[in-house]
Amino acid sequence: MSKVLPTPAKRILPSKEATLFKELLTLYETRQLKKGLKTSDQILKKFPEHGETLCMKGLVLTHMGKREEGIDLVKKGVRLDLTSHICWHVFGLIQKGEKHYEEALKSYTQALRFDKENLNILRDAAQLQTQLRLFDALVETRHTLLRIRPTLRQHWVALAVAHHLNGNLAEARKTLEHYERTLKNVPDYDIEHSETLLYHIHLLEEMGEFSDALSLLDINAKSRSIVDRAAIMEYRARLLSKLGSDEAEHAWRVLIEHNSDCYDYLRGYLSNQGLSLDATSTDALTILRQFSTQLPKATAPRRLALNIASRDDFRDLVKPYLLSGLTKGVPSLFVDIKALYCDDSKRQIVEEIVEAARADFSPDSTSPSPSSSSAPTDLEPTTYLWTLYFLAQHHSYLGRPQQALETIELALAHTPTLPELHACKARTLKRAGDPFGAARCVDEARLLDGQDRFLNTKCAKYLLRAGLIDEASAILDATSPGADLEDMQSLLYLIEEADAHYRNAKLNLALKKYLAIFNEVEDDQYDFHGYNLRKFTLNIYLTLVKWEDRLRSHPAYVKAALSASRIYVALHDDPSIAKAASSAPQLTDAEKKAKKKAKKAAQKVQEDVKKAPAASANEDKGLEVTLPKDDDPEGIKLLSVADPLEHAAKLLHPLSALSTNNIDAWLAIYDVAVRRKKFLQAVKALNCARALNHEHPELHIRLVHFRQAVQALPQQLPAPIGPLVTEALAKLLPDEVSLDTYNGQCLQRHSSEPLAVLAAAKVAHALEAPLQEVEEIVFGTLREDSKLDVPSALQVVTFLTSIKSERLEEFRKACDVRFEVSTVFKPAEELQGLRKRAQVGEEETKVESPAA
Amino acid sequence: MMGMQATNLQNLPENYVMKFWMYHAMTWPQISFVAEDHKGRIVGYVLAKIEEDSEEKGEPVHGHVNSISVLRSYRRLGLAKKLMLLSQEAMASVYKAEHVSLHVRKSNKAAIGLYRDTLGFEVAKVEKKYYGDGEDALSMRLSLKDP
Repeated sequence: MSKVLPTPAKRILPSKEATLFKELLTLYETRQLKKGLKTSDQILKKFPEHGETLCMKGLVLTHMGKREEGIDLVKKGVRLDLTSHICWHVFGLIQKGEKHYEEALKSYTQALRFDKENLNILRDAAQLQTQLRLFDALVETRHTLLRIRPTLRQHWVALAVAHHLNGNLAEARKTLEHYERTLKNVPDYDIEHSETLLYHIHLLEEMGEFSDALSLLDINAKSRSIVDRAAIMEYRARLLSKLGSDEAEHAWRVLIEHNSDCYDYLRGYLSNQGLSLDATSTDALTILRQFSTQLPKATAPRRLALNIASRDDFRDLVKPYLLSGLTKGVPSLFVDIKALYCDDSKRQIVEEIVEAARADFSPDSTSPSPSSSSAPTDLEPTTYLWTLYFLAQHHSYLGRPQQALETIELALAHTPTLPELHACKARTLKRAGDPFGAARCVDEARLLDGQDRFLNTKCAKYLLRAGLIDEASAILDATSPGADLEDMQSLLYLIEEADAHYRNAKLNLALKKYLAIFNEVEDDQYDFHGYNLRKFTLNIYLTLVKWEDRLRSHPAYVKAALSASRIYVALHDDPSIAKAASSAPQLTDAEKKAKKKAKKAAQKVQEDVKKAPAASANEDKGLEVTLPKDDDPEGIKLLSVADPLEHAAKLLHPLSALSTNNIDAWLAIYDVAVRRKKFLQAVKALNCARALNHEHPELHIRLVHFRQAVQALPQQLPAPIGPLVTEALAKLLPDEVSLDTYNGQCLQRHSSEPLAVLAAAKVAHALEAPLQEVEEIVFGTLREDSKLDVPSALQVVTFLTSIKSERLEEFRKACDVRFEVSTVFKPAEELQGLRKRAQVGEEETKVESPAA
Repeated sequence: MMGMQATNLQNLPENYVMKFWMYHAMTWPQISFVAEDHKGRIVGYVLAKIEEDSEEKGEPVHGHVNSISVLRSYRRLGLAKKLMLLSQEAMASVYKAEHVSLHVRKSNKAAIGLYRDTLGFEVAKVEKKYYGDGEDALSMRLSLKDP
């Protein structure tokens, strides 16, 4: 098929220039940029229209940091010589540097039309195809590479991996087997060969060929071709188990003896015996007890035993576990134990034991009980302290802030300098609705150990929760300023700061932080599509590819995408929000200060950039786009997009495949779909949400909304969509039921659940019920039997504010009484005062903590 | 990887971009380890590499601990020690590393205690102003050859 194209006359250079051009290529390869630039100018002096030279000059200039000028030249060069593989290759390189992978691949495909067997171009194309997950094309490219250079080891494994990614495991296997047969003279102790064999075994396991996998493993373990002993043992145990072999038990036991704290090994051992760690089982318990005796230093078997033990067994096991933790002063003991509290009887037993321990350990315990297992005399005083610490967390977790605070004050009186105690108090206050007091307490913890980043981070987080964003930035600056935290993708920081802006109604800044999450992680994998094949680390590479594909199911992304989409929906419903944000609001002093500081920092970066080129003109800046100056530091542009719904849809798109069990995701997808008039998508979202929880209060709101939206359509939707939507709607919310009745029934069914009551109130409001009636429903959340807690009460406050209810203060006052420790329901002036005090807390002036 | 990075950011002043973590995991997948709590959240990690080029400089192949950290709230469980031992063993068995080296802040008494007293490291030299804030580092090493 391939016909050799004649070289166009305009490309042919006289011999002197042709030599210069070859030199130019070498100079570029060795990154002698300055010389390269000179050489290209020499050619261009005589042949200013020579496309390939223009492209090379453009490429060199881009490397030297003159991006715009360089790209212009490249484009010009391509236009002047559309059949040159060099021109297209250069263009592809530039596009790849800009992370425009699809366009880059197009250019590479062009380049390959004119030079079919260029190894460099083929290799780059393969990486682009992997990045874009175009696996059919990838297999073809890898085939070509192997055909051209069959002697290169990595070309074989690269083809196998391509088949594997493409879902063709049998071909991958064939390729590997073929490759292994051709291998000669593998040196001893070759880690690359070892990794390749492990990959081969893993592939067989994935295909379900367990006995083939096992024999390959055994042969190569024996010959010492596989050098990773830990991997050998793990693979063996797994494969023997899958084959149902008698040897499996021993293999798992060896692993457990090797690392007795690995849950997977213990799980593997038990599941090999047909036992699970998720249900109560005396057999499993017996085994875990044996391991606990045989391996006295292991903690995992002891801890796992607590999950599956019940009643007296549990009591017998948990007592020594707790006492040993308290005596050693293990700070994580409570966090470790609280997972057991989903079982009420276990919670009770733990409480009894620790309360008894507290009585025993107390310094003024009048009669050391003789039944006590440990003699009080040889007790460290800290044991009492850690017991109090445990109990305080216990009460706080169970929603008893008063008791928690009393206990923590006892502990603080005993040892005022333990940061953990202050942090525990902070957490209790935070939970009970006093974010300002919480921030102050955790700041005290921070001051006790100024070197500790953990406390520093906690402190910043609590300040953000209290809405004190500038104060939080000040704390963070001490270790790592916000820009760095964004570069390093500190999800904790990005989410907390975005949430704080959101709560403070600074939607532009919130959106900016939400959208910063994971903006580069997908690009980060690019180089590894080539690197790992050269290193033969294939198993871990496949894990990376899978991980990247599932990246957007990460809770931080899900949260950010949901919040950002809520902002976009709000913008769609009320475009004036964007205008309000952009018409420069009155800045507070602190904000002005922060702005000034940011400006200064930005200037410094600019200066640094300016300084750099002077240092060395020959310096290679690479092809990747260096971060352009942030021209939207306030996120105003983000907020002013013309099509907020399209942006939201794009953010939510990955969730419809990856977060199918998240009802909030489906509700957000509905909100966007119905506004984009994508009614079938809306129906699907509602159906999925309903399948997950048909009584969810937010779903209730959407169902009513959907009926209203469909009925409000100026004309019927055309077939086939129209009838489908009508039919689906009838199933979701039967036609014959009036919306008022429907809402009333929901309210009755869930009258003690505050969020359901709130949802009913919102629906009543949407159905244009009189304000008084809506308020009446809302106040139902204050009934005796209502399970109102601080977060849901705050949601009620937000709603009452949004409908401009005159009974807002009445509600706040009621909550202030109901939640004794809380401060968030105090009147506005008082809140201002509390904010100030929390700010003061970070200065040397220590504010006395209020009596608990 | 993300868990490792999050723990590092929460705990330590020396941080790295995601690609740095990826690079280590992709190159030497066998020698870095994490500690998880009962829910599978990462509460500690050790990130290590192998110095292979050093053969030319006359230094034998050896491991280097880049970063190790356990969340403050998960201390006193011996996690750091377990992580170190696992990494050391893998370095020796997979890469035949002859010794393992690391840097530690001169002021970090607790860590120095762990390396020297518990694990048997010795101070090889002091590197002046190693850290960004000007603090000196102790360069420590431990032989991995069978005694």
